[in-house]
Amino acid sequence: MRSVEPWVVAPLEGFLGESSARLVLIMTSAGQVIAQHGFTRALDVMSAAALGAGIMASAQELARVITWPAFTTVVHQGTRQGHFLARFETPRGVMIGLVVFGSETSLGLVQLFFNQLVLDLKHAAPAEKQPPQVLPADFEKELNASLRTLFGR
Amino acid sequence: MSLVNFTTREITCKIVYYGPGRSGKTSNLQYVYGRVPESRRGRMVSLATQTDRTLFFDFLPIDLGVISGFATRFQLYTVPGQVYYNATRQLVLQGADGVVFVADSQARRFEENLESLQNLQVNLLQQGIDVRQFPVVLQYNKQDLPRDLILTQTELDDALNFRALRSFTADALHGAGVFETLKGISEIVLKRLAAGGNLK
Repeated sequence: MRSVEPWVVAPLEGFLGESSARLVLIMTSAGQVIAQHGFTRALDVMSAAALGAGIMASAQELARVITWPAFTTVVHQGTRQGHFLARFETPRGVMIGLVVFGSETSLGLVQLFFNQLVLDLKHAAPAEKQPPQVLPADFEKELNASLRTLFGR
Repeated sequence: MSLVNFTTREITCKIVYYGPGRSGKTSNLQYVYGRVPESRRGRMVSLATQTDRTLFFDFLPIDLGVISGFATRFQLYTVPGQVYYNATRQLVLQGADGVVFVADSQARRFEENLESLQNLQVNLLQQGIDVRQFPVVLQYNKQDLPRDLILTQTELDDALNFRALRSFTADALHGAGVFETLKGISEIVLKRLAAGGNLK
């Protein structure tokens, strides 16, 4: 498991142990990855997060257009695996969870333990804090070198 | 909002390519996708119509490498340019760290550029973002077209660039200016990060 925010780790470990989910992704509503389990490439995680956030954003917008209460959960049940996508609030803002599960568990169990995960995350989330300095002012030289390498120039 | 992982020393930033329909936003991403080694990029996700017009967004994650000890990744998005897709543009703009405004240099597309630029300002404002404080660069695309069809960089700057933003000429289809534009927005976004703002 990998996590950007340390407070997400314990609740997510608990969820993984109980639900037997294969892949889990916690992201912001803008598609930024907060934590993930089961993905092998960091860049694929980003694609999954962008699509998950896009699905939830469009589902929410669709609900608004047809004047229904906001859809907070989207489920796709396939023959060999399913996915469960849900939007939830935390003290650190709106987040989205994507869970991919197989025949070793069920949608009901995933949903049950996901609800517990949301409660645990709400309790674990610290208040917003002032971020420390990230990059030194003279980072441009390294940025330029990285971009030149990236584009083969 | 940029995500910074201090434990694993990783930075992730979201860049959105904005502009009127058919101005070349997707072409920018396709060129980047074609030039960047496979090990340094993810799959390009394109949610497009059957005629290859962007329906929701294009998405390309790229790995910039290590900058000041941080593994730095950029998520490049495009928005659909057509006027009637505004709700989609608002969704994709959420959490953006910077915008590349891709203008079509053809004189006959001038009004659409202006309309799209105004639309960008309105959509940012709706998210509580003051465009004057937000990283934006302009790209004047299709500069390879015959001179009598297009406006020059000076003319486009006079007409669109009233905030004196960094602007770049480009021919995204063949790659001219794509790298320079990405470099320009990367510098501004990371400078903002270095100044301590815009962190989640």
